[in-house]
Amino acid sequence: MKLPIEWIKEYVPIEASPEELAHRLTMAGLEVEETAESSVGPVLDIKVTPNRGDCLSVMGVARELAAAYKVDLRAVPHNPSRNEGETAPITAVAIEAPELCPRYAARIIRSVKSIESPAWMQARLIAAGMRPVSGIVDVTNYVMLETGQPHHAFDYDTLAERRIVVRRARPGEQIVTLDGQERVLNPEMLVICDAEKPVAVAGVMGGGETEMGPRTRTVLLESAHFNSLSVRRTSRTLNLRTEASYRFERVVDPAGVAAAADRACALIAELGMGEVVSGIVDCTPIPIPSRTLNLRPKRVTLLLGFEVSAEAAADSLTRLGFGVTPSGESLNVTVPTWRPDVVREEDMAEEVGRVLGYENIPERLPHGSSTQGGDSADGRFNSRIREVLAAAGLQEVATHTLLAPGPFEDSRTESSRIAIRSALSAELSGLRRSLLPGLLEALDRNARRGQSPLAMFEVGHIFHATDSRWSERTSVGGVLCGSLQPAGWRHDSKPADFHAAHGIVERLSDSLHLPDTDLVRSKDPRLHPGRSADVLLNGATIGWVGELHPRLSAEIHVRERIVAFELDASALQEAARQVRGYEPLSPFPSVVRDLAPRVPVELECAAVKTVVESVDTPLLEGFELTDVYIGNPLPEGTKSLTLSFTFRAQDRTLTEEEVTGALSQIRHALETRCGATFPA
Amino acid sequence: MDELAQLILTAEKEVAEADSTAALARIETLYLGGKGSLQAQLRAIGSLPREERPTFGARVNAAKQALTERIEDRRSVLAGGETATRLAAESIDITLPGEPIPAGRLHPLTQTMGRVKDALIGLGYEFVEGPELEEYAYNFAALNYPEDHPAFDEMMTFYVDDTHLLRTQTTALQGRIMSQRKPPFRIATTGRCFRYEAVDATHHHTFHQVDVFMVDEGISMADLKGTLKQFARAMFGGDVQVRFRPDFFPFVEPGVDYSIYWENRWLELGGAGLIHPNILESHGIDTERWTGFAFGLGIERTHMIQNGVNDLRLYLENDLRFLRQF
Repeated sequence: MKLPIEWIKEYVPIEASPEELAHRLTMAGLEVEETAESSVGPVLDIKVTPNRGDCLSVMGVARELAAAYKVDLRAVPHNPSRNEGETAPITAVAIEAPELCPRYAARIIRSVKSIESPAWMQARLIAAGMRPVSGIVDVTNYVMLETGQPHHAFDYDTLAERRIVVRRARPGEQIVTLDGQERVLNPEMLVICDAEKPVAVAGVMGGGETEMGPRTRTVLLESAHFNSLSVRRTSRTLNLRTEASYRFERVVDPAGVAAAADRACALIAELGMGEVVSGIVDCTPIPIPSRTLNLRPKRVTLLLGFEVSAEAAADSLTRLGFGVTPSGESLNVTVPTWRPDVVREEDMAEEVGRVLGYENIPERLPHGSSTQGGDSADGRFNSRIREVLAAAGLQEVATHTLLAPGPFEDSRTESSRIAIRSALSAELSGLRRSLLPGLLEALDRNARRGQSPLAMFEVGHIFHATDSRWSERTSVGGVLCGSLQPAGWRHDSKPADFHAAHGIVERLSDSLHLPDTDLVRSKDPRLHPGRSADVLLNGATIGWVGELHPRLSAEIHVRERIVAFELDASALQEAARQVRGYEPLSPFPSVVRDLAPRVPVELECAAVKTVVESVDTPLLEGFELTDVYIGNPLPEGTKSLTLSFTFRAQDRTLTEEEVTGALSQIRHALETRCGATFPA
Repeated sequence: MDELAQLILTAEKEVAEADSTAALARIETLYLGGKGSLQAQLRAIGSLPREERPTFGARVNAAKQALTERIEDRRSVLAGGETATRLAAESIDITLPGEPIPAGRLHPLTQTMGRVKDALIGLGYEFVEGPELEEYAYNFAALNYPEDHPAFDEMMTFYVDDTHLLRTQTTALQGRIMSQRKPPFRIATTGRCFRYEAVDATHHHTFHQVDVFMVDEGISMADLKGTLKQFARAMFGGDVQVRFRPDFFPFVEPGVDYSIYWENRWLELGGAGLIHPNILESHGIDTERWTGFAFGLGIERTHMIQNGVNDLRLYLENDLRFLRQF
C-alpha cells in the first residue's frame, strides 16, 4: 500500500524525516518496503500483514505513528449527520442477509456536476497508485484511502424504485460488472440490488448499468460493512480482486461506516461537485460487537520477559485506541471496533510490547528441565549413507521432487504416480516415484558443460499412491558415467560399468553392516536387460542396479554407458538395525589355497557361490573370486575362474591333510554340480 | 701353527674382505655351518689323544664364538652400506602429482543442515522428521490458520487432493508432536517445503527450512531472543545482535520477524514468536502453566549469507562447478 507522507502528517503532528518514519513504522510492525518520490513528496510503500486491515489507510497508519511518537491523533473532518433528514423520504435500504451485511448506509447527492476532482486530490490518488476517474468517484477513492472504508457511487436515477435491497444472489443470477464482464452469481454471494435486480457484487465491484457517468444528476453513495469471509470467497470465485474487496476481506471498521460517508459528502460539497441531501439512511440490523477483555500485567511481564507495570500497559493500549479501566490487579480492556484481531490476553501483550518496543526484551536462555538433544534415527542413518557414498567418490546432488511424467520413471508403476491438482505446468505436475529422472537430468546438465567425473548420488523422498493411500519413503540413488577415477600419469581411465555400480552398492551394504544382498536379473524397462539386476535383501526386493537401457541413454548428452542404482533407504535402515553376533577370534593360523576350475562360459558366479557354500566343511572360513579368464588357449564356450579359499579352525592349527581333504570336497562339488574341469 | 689356528686366520681374513652380506653369508656357512670347517674340526676330535680332547674342544668353541662376533660386526657394516645404496636407487620424483582418490562431497544444503543440527542439538533440541506430503490439517488448520483467511493463500500451495498437500512450511510438524507428547519438549526439524513461486534469484517453488519449537514453564520472548542469539552465534560466528520486529504468523502470538546484525548489516532471517495459545489449548496444554516459542530459518538463505551466494536457483541446478566449491 502506497501512502504519501504529507497526507499522513495531516493527521499526526510529527516532524520526522521519511527515513525515520519508515524505520519507526517498520519496527512497529508496518514494514516499509520502499520510500519513493512523487509529485506530493515522499511516498511510503507499506506491507500490511493480513491481520492488520485497520492499517490499510492514512488514518490507520497515522494512529500507529501517534502511539509510537506519543502524540495525539487528529480526527478526520466531517459533518456528522445522525438523523435521516431529507434522505429517508427519497430512498430506502432493506438488508435481507444481515449475517453478510451487518450495516449499510446511504446518502444522496443531488445536482451532481460533471467536474474533475481538484489537482491536489488527483496528485494524492496518483501517488497512492490509483487512477483519477471523475469527481465523485475520485472522492470515494480518496476517502477509502483516508479512512479505509470503501464506497460505491450509484446513479440514483437508474435504480429501480430508487431503493436498495441487500440479499444473497439467486442461483444463476447474472450481472455485468463495471469492467464489462458478465458474471454468474450464486447464493453464496451477497449482492446489492435495486427493487428488481442486482446492481453490485457487494464489496467487490459495482454493476455497469447503474454506474455513474457524465450525465448522472443524482448519486446514491453506499458506505457499508460486509462479512469478510463472504467477500473473500466471492472475490475468489469470480476471480475479481479490487481495492474494495482487498479491504473488506481484511478489516473495515463497522463503526466508521457513517463517518466515512459523511467525510465523502463533506468533500463533495466543499469541492462543489453536487448538493448533499441532509440526513443518512443507516441500516444496522446487527449491533456492532463490542469486546471487553481482562489483562493481567503480570501475564504481560511473563510473556514479554521484562517488567511491565499496570500503568505502562494501560498507557500503551490507550494510545492505540483501547479503552482501559483498572480492576484490582488487572485491567479491563475494551477493544476498539477496528481491531477484531485482538481477542485474548496474548494479543494485548503483543500490542503493549509493540508500543513499549521489542528492543526492551532482554536475552535469556530457557531454564527448566534439561532435555536430551539429538538427531532422529532417520537423520542419523541417512547421514551415514551420505558419508559412505561421498567417500566412495560420488557427489551429492539435490534434485526436484516435482516433475513431469517421463521415460526415466518405471512405466510399470505409472498408475501410482501422485499428481498435483490443477497443476500450472507439466514440470510441476506430479511427485517423483524415483530419484533416477532427477539424477539423469543432473548428469545431462553437467555432461553438456564438460564436467567429469560424472558420479552423483541423492538421498531424498519418493512417493507412490497405493490403494488410495500415499506412501512417502526415503530413497538413495546414484548415477555413474565415464571414469570415476580419471586417467592420470600412472593409470588409464576405466569407464564405469555395471560392476562399478554394483561395487558402490556393495560398499554401501558393507559399510552399513547389512546382511549380504542378492542380485537377480531385473525386468525394469528402464534398464539394459542383460546388464541390470534387482537387489534383494533377506529375500525382498529393495532396489536395483544396472546399466541404463540404450533407448533412454540416447536422450542424454554422453557417449559412455550410464550405470545407476536406487535403493530403498528405509529398508536398508530396517536391516541395519538388526543386532549382529560376535565371532571369537581364532588364535590359529589360516591356510589359503586356490582352485582354478574351467567352467561353461554362461555359468554365473552366483551358481558357483551357491555350490561352494553348500559344501559341508566347517573349516572353510571364506572364499573369493580373484580372476575370470575367457579366451586363448581355452576351448570355445569355456572360461577359467580362480577361486581363493581360506581355511581355519578355532581350536587347532590345520594339518595339510585336513586342508587337502576340504579342498577336494569343494573340487568334487564343482565338478559334479558346475560341470567344472581342472586341467593340469 | 696348527691346522686350527691356520683355519681361524684364513676365516678372519675372508670375513674382513667380504664385500657384501651375501658373500658374508656364504663364508658363515663355510666355517660355522653344520657341514662347515670348524664343525669338521670338532668331528675330528676323536682322533686326538684323550687328554688333549678337552683343551682342543674349548679352542674350537672359542674360535666359533670369536668368528661369529666378527661376522656379525662385519654384517652390520655391510648391511648399512647396502641399505643406503638400495634407498638411493629407489629414489623417485616426489613432485609428480599424487594418485587421485575420487572424493565426493555433501550437497551444500546437507552441510548447512548439518551445522544447524549441531548447533541445536547442543542446545538440547531433539530432531524429528515429518513428511513432505502433509495433511492439510497439520500444515494449516492445526497451526491456527483461520479458514479462508487472507494469510493463507491457497494459490501458493501444491494440493494433491482436498486434504493433502506438499507442506508449505516445516512448522507443520508442531501439531504432530503436540498430539503425541506432553511438555516440556524441545523439538527441531529440517526439510523440504514447496510453494508456488515464480523462480528467480531469491524465490523457488522448492526450498528447505529448519523449524524449532519448545514448550516449558515460564517461557517468554526473552528466552526466544536469547536462544536466537546463541543459535545465530553458532551459525554465523562472532558476537551477533538479535533484533525483533512485529510480524504476523497465525501460529505465534506475539509474532516477530527476527534479524541479526552481522558484518555491519541487519539481515532478516525468519519468523518467530511465542506459540499461539490456541494451538497449545487445542492439544490440552494448560497455557497458564506452559508457554513456548517457535522460530524458523531458511537453509538456502543461511548458506547464501555464510558464503556470499547470490542466486537461490544454484542449489537445485546441481552444477558440479558450484557443488564442488563447498
